[in-house]
Amino acid sequence: MKKDIENNPTQAQSSETPDWLLDLDKVGFIRRIFLARKWYGGDWWFVAISAVLLLFIIIVGVFPQWFAPYDPSAEVGPSLLEPGVAPSSYVLVAPIEAGEITLVDIGDKSNNIGFIIGSPASQALREATDTLNDAAPEGVRYQPRQMRYETLAEGLDALAAGEIDGFVAAPDVLENVLDGYPTLRIANTLREDASKGFVMGTNQIGQDVFSRIIWGTRIALIVGLSSAIVSLVIGVPLGLISGFTGGPLDRILTLIMDSLYSFPGLILAISIAAVLGAGIGNIIVSIAVLYIPTYYRIVRGQTLAVKKELYVEAARSLGTSKLKILTKYIFPNVIPSVVIIFSVNVGDAILTEAGLSFLGFGLPPNTPDWGIDLARGQDYVRRAWWLITYPGLMVTMVTLSFSMLGESLSEILNPKLTER
Amino acid sequence: MMNDKKVLMQVRDLSVNYKTRLGMVSAVDHVSFDIYEGEILGLVGESGCGKSTMGKALMRMIQPPGRITGGKLILDDNDIMTYDEKQMQDFRGRKVSMIFQDPMTSLNPVQRVDEHLVEAIQVHFPGITKEEALVRSSELLEKLGIQSNRMGSYPHQLSGGMRQRVMVALGLILNANLIIADEATTSLDVIVEAKLADQFRDIREEFGVTMLVITHNIALVAELSDRLAVMYAGHVVEIGSVYDVFDNPLHPYTIGLLYSVPNIRLDDEKELYKMPGEPPNLTHPPGGCRFHPRCPKAMDICSQKEPDLIEVSPGRHVKCWLFQEHPEEAEESVEVTL
Repeated sequence: MKKDIENNPTQAQSSETPDWLLDLDKVGFIRRIFLARKWYGGDWWFVAISAVLLLFIIIVGVFPQWFAPYDPSAEVGPSLLEPGVAPSSYVLVAPIEAGEITLVDIGDKSNNIGFIIGSPASQALREATDTLNDAAPEGVRYQPRQMRYETLAEGLDALAAGEIDGFVAAPDVLENVLDGYPTLRIANTLREDASKGFVMGTNQIGQDVFSRIIWGTRIALIVGLSSAIVSLVIGVPLGLISGFTGGPLDRILTLIMDSLYSFPGLILAISIAAVLGAGIGNIIVSIAVLYIPTYYRIVRGQTLAVKKELYVEAARSLGTSKLKILTKYIFPNVIPSVVIIFSVNVGDAILTEAGLSFLGFGLPPNTPDWGIDLARGQDYVRRAWWLITYPGLMVTMVTLSFSMLGESLSEILNPKLTER
Repeated sequence: MMNDKKVLMQVRDLSVNYKTRLGMVSAVDHVSFDIYEGEILGLVGESGCGKSTMGKALMRMIQPPGRITGGKLILDDNDIMTYDEKQMQDFRGRKVSMIFQDPMTSLNPVQRVDEHLVEAIQVHFPGITKEEALVRSSELLEKLGIQSNRMGSYPHQLSGGMRQRVMVALGLILNANLIIADEATTSLDVIVEAKLADQFRDIREEFGVTMLVITHNIALVAELSDRLAVMYAGHVVEIGSVYDVFDNPLHPYTIGLLYSVPNIRLDDEKELYKMPGEPPNLTHPPGGCRFHPRCPKAMDICSQKEPDLIEVSPGRHVKCWLFQEHPEEAEESVEVTL
């Protein structure tokens, strides 16, 4: 008998599959992704670009302190400073007769210090007083009264007339004007000329836009990933059970999910968020509820299809239990579509979160969040383009890279493409 | 082959109905026959005559909307119709296993060959370690002509013939007494099919299993089986040894079926025999004998009463009025004797 089979030419069939195909099984996961073109006809560069983008975004999101130069909620510079422009220095102008004076001498509550209304000089003055207050002993408080003037000339006239004790201005605008006031001189420098500006400028309250974007990545990733995970964890088992058992349970679940699905997404999220109130946990829940039906529908449909496959019946004919069929036969064959929806979903959730925050239903107001930054920045569109451009670009980029990952994963994992 | 003729499985009055919008479809209608130990029983018939349904019904694998509405399946003196779900899970695979129509889709695409086999063993014998199961699996695969270095392959890396042999191995691995091969060779090309047919015979000799080969390929049955059962519209109309049935078909349907097989000796003038009519709609099967609307030898009684499957000669059963006494005559004779 054995000899019979040894002579049997069927053994020759064993070499039907070329060896290079078998060798491909032995390479690691990363190489397999790069071999996607050879394997599945997928475009490897698509995978590569999205992978690099995502890796970068994830590193930024996990370690924002490595990248962000400033505290995102601190007022670190003059307001609405253009990207790349260094904030100029400011000096204190005082009468010559007052002698060598600094802000310490004229920083009292009874002193008046003037500046041009709406100029960053107010910021420089505030910063200087803050620094003094920080270093001052207990009980001493520097708080000069601020006087605002329409023009430089008005202010300097007032100073020369002795109405105020000092005037704050930028040295380059003072250069020629000060010659006309012989009684005045530059007493000392309030703030040094900054060597570098802010990469993406500052917003209306002097926060660094770049730092806020970096820290916003963390919020976006937390909200996007966790809401997608929550809806996956709820939606996938529901879809599996519903599709596998069928019957009344299936009908009831389908009815519920379809009615959820038929709501316009953002409106549903807004209503849930409005009921739950602000806070990151509530945002995650309201976005997760939005995406549960997506998982449910896809997984249920796939389960219905896989359930009818012959290998499931073959497993039943071998006496495999229902639970094992569900976990070992149906679930692994449903995973590829789940992975694809997941990655597209994360991008979508980030977009929804930004939308919710933009509308004011999201996170607490001072959170460094792209949606909040966009909402605040829209008031300054004509004066400060950088306020909405950079958060908007980030939302676009993250959403795009997650979608690209989903697309490329679908090319790699799509069972129809694995057939050679 | 059939020295002892011990009955392995008795099928008695088995009925399977499908519930459809148009009404109940009786796919298998009060079928009774025996399967002998160690034989290869061929089950042939047109598409839709209930062959596959019956194969599944033997393992109680009919899924809703279908339902087994009656009958007994007796194996080892136990009626498996009385088993509960847990007993059935143990029964399936260990006593009776099944090889499916399409080898391309009957293996889980995400499991490797060895995982399939090990899982099948561990489902029924949880005590066996993975290593022992692997050894047993690779021995069996070697016997079936698959090198053990293919154990780690995924199904899509195997050819159709190899996949089918893996399926056969899955059927054999638990030493099931009865293997039901449901159109197991249909999607294979003729050369692979012939090899597999040879292998079925070898398997039967080596492992001593009984096989029920369900197919519409008459030539394969002639090559492979010891006995032949012909099904028509949910009824088994003729059973007999394969030589008897081929040499001397009795039921008019069997005759027509055998004539319909293309033959290389057909000359140009002689056309291939085509049976008149269509297979009946099983929601409303014809009264009496279900074949009578297409039967060239139909009599009056055929449309009125259903014949029984009776033994006309040793080992030969036919369900046709041509070979049994008509009840009117019998009644008359009864009256006369009284």
